Amino acid sequence: MNKTRTAALAALALALPAGLAACGGDDDGPVTLRYAFWDDNQRPALEAMIKAFNEEHPDIEVELEQNPWEDYWAGLDSQFAAEEAPDVFWNHVSRFPTYASNGVLLPITDDIEADGVDPSIYPENLYNSWQYEDEQYGLPKDWDSIALVYRLDALEAAGIDPATVNDLEWNPVDGGTYVEFLRKLTVDGNGNNALSPDFDPENVVQYGTAMSSNTGQTDWWNYAVQNGCSLQTEPWGDYAIDAPECVEAIQFTADLYNKWHVAVPAESTNQPNGGVPGDYVVPGQAATTLDGSWMLSFYRDGLEPGSWAVADNPSGPVGSGTVINGLSNAIYAGTEHPDEAWELVKFLGSEEAQSIATGMGSVWPGISSLNQGFADYWAGEGIDVTGFQTAAEGTTTGYPLSMNDAAFGTAAMDEFNQVWLGQKDAQAAAEAVVAIANAE
Amino acid sequence: MLAPSILGFAVFLIAPIVIVVLLSFYDWNLLSDPEFIGLENYRELAGDERALQSIGNTFYYVLLNIPAQTVLALLLALALNAKIKARNAFRVIYVLPWMAMPVALGVIWRWVFDPQFGALNRFLDLFGIDGAAWLTDSTWAMPVIASVNVWQYTGYTMLFFLAGLQAIPAQLYEAADVDGASPLHRFFTITLPLLRPAMLFVLITSVIGSFQVFDTIHVMTAGGPAGSTATLNYQIYLESFTQRNAGYASMLAVVLFAIIALITLAQAAFFRKRTTYDFS
Repeated sequence: MNKTRTAALAALALALPAGLAACGGDDDGPVTLRYAFWDDNQRPALEAMIKAFNEEHPDIEVELEQNPWEDYWAGLDSQFAAEEAPDVFWNHVSRFPTYASNGVLLPITDDIEADGVDPSIYPENLYNSWQYEDEQYGLPKDWDSIALVYRLDALEAAGIDPATVNDLEWNPVDGGTYVEFLRKLTVDGNGNNALSPDFDPENVVQYGTAMSSNTGQTDWWNYAVQNGCSLQTEPWGDYAIDAPECVEAIQFTADLYNKWHVAVPAESTNQPNGGVPGDYVVPGQAATTLDGSWMLSFYRDGLEPGSWAVADNPSGPVGSGTVINGLSNAIYAGTEHPDEAWELVKFLGSEEAQSIATGMGSVWPGISSLNQGFADYWAGEGIDVTGFQTAAEGTTTGYPLSMNDAAFGTAAMDEFNQVWLGQKDAQAAAEAVVAIANAE
Repeated sequence: MLAPSILGFAVFLIAPIVIVVLLSFYDWNLLSDPEFIGLENYRELAGDERALQSIGNTFYYVLLNIPAQTVLALLLALALNAKIKARNAFRVIYVLPWMAMPVALGVIWRWVFDPQFGALNRFLDLFGIDGAAWLTDSTWAMPVIASVNVWQYTGYTMLFFLAGLQAIPAQLYEAADVDGASPLHRFFTITLPLLRPAMLFVLITSVIGSFQVFDTIHVMTAGGPAGSTATLNYQIYLESFTQRNAGYASMLAVVLFAIIALITLAQAAFFRKRTTYDFS
């Protein structure tokens, strides 16, 4: 019958032969490094950077190990348990605190100093977000923010001037110009939009927006920040999403589904198994979305040039804003090749490597001076990406930092999925999440 | 000669089981060293609504899965044991779902059951029926998962019944014909009793298999909505790999093992006195 062993057994079977650490000395023979990442969109850029790395280091082979986000962390955790983790891997701020405090990351403070890496080339907050107890545990790989991505053909069909998209406003009472905009873009099978009295919400062929997120980053966090909700009492503090301004934003997100009928229904988009926003925008089932800068190449590859564009996020009651974030390249503390792993991380953090990624329009770079190169690449593709830079200012906050990220993430997905489906009250869900996430 | 297989048995089965039992007395986040906490994990179980719910979900799933799958497999075996055209082709077709990758099938079924753009609801639409949100409605999600697994494993189960049917000596049926027994009578007095060895095997393996269901759930609902499809086995995965409570997950694994062991022993005891292996 079902051939699965219990997952725990599998991991422990893996853990068993651990400790058979290799002992051989460090001779200068060829070395193979394992480098783990999750985002398929960035593979071409990684391959190009590794090719450049091999020109200077022909004796260090880099093997890419890819797992999608949903499986990446479970895989990495079990590899840490088995002491068989990849030498170098993408790290995320939400996991960083737990990893750093449990000693699975290799500190690189001394290497940075010895090799004269200049930290001032990175934005200070990005660089500092990889510090724990006076040690540095990674070099910034990129930064990301959220902006409004939309299809020009949908706007044209609805008679909306693209110049107005940068100035949309929402409020929790009547929805404001943003909801009106989305209602115009939500069209049923008879050609009626959601403003029409004849609109049939059961038979929609194009929704105004698509929302979905494993964390909140590409759905309700945007509206939360625009409504003055700070997610946490302070970085490293308790989660505070049961505050009135947060609950109001969660309710507004639920309203987009269930009151205004302008979002692709949660039955389809709820994570972890639903589609991502781009899955609905590319085939035309949704006209707009608030999506991450790391998804730009997904839209480039799926849509005709000139058929889509990027605009500023809408403004809520306290202004426009979103959550910004960045990734780093980190080294596994148990690596057998710490010197070579550092060479790779140093290279990936260098201007040479990051200009390769920005030149391919992959992600916003970790190095400030290269931002223009990224914007230039997209200008060449006919896309003005300054919306993401605008989004990095204003009321924007950093990604929540907590040792309880895993508990928060699971509880939030569980509870808010029910809110999006219209099965649970926003206040009750927020309280339930806070109770679980702040428990330890 | 036995040494390699005993070594494999010890390394891949005995050792992990011992480790899981030991770990159930520890607090372990996978990243740093485990810490001994005695029976704390077991005590915590009593107040853990999610874990208790997952035990209930598991029994619900087994009840949805086993009777339907066993009866369907038996009916199919009876049909394909008769002399019909293209019998072998049918046998292969029914076994195909079992041969395919459960994860790939799960993805396809998820598309089929998508409430908005899925094939099933589009089809129901043709008859004016409003299909449910199959995988996000807590009433439907578990029956849907159970039916996908019934579809997947019925053909495989059928193979054992087929083998069992072919082991029944033909002269018994001939004698029954001479006595004027009806087909129904023959089924209940000859076929079913003499199928008991096959039945015992099928029930024990498929009950164990359904208690361990994982991949279909992982791909189709990930335990949702609101934990309604999180079986105990899936809860073990969630605790261990999303919450990093490997010690607590080990405790759940021990509980699952105890449940399966009890049920299997009960089944074996029930069938032992009622099974004939000698048809001569």
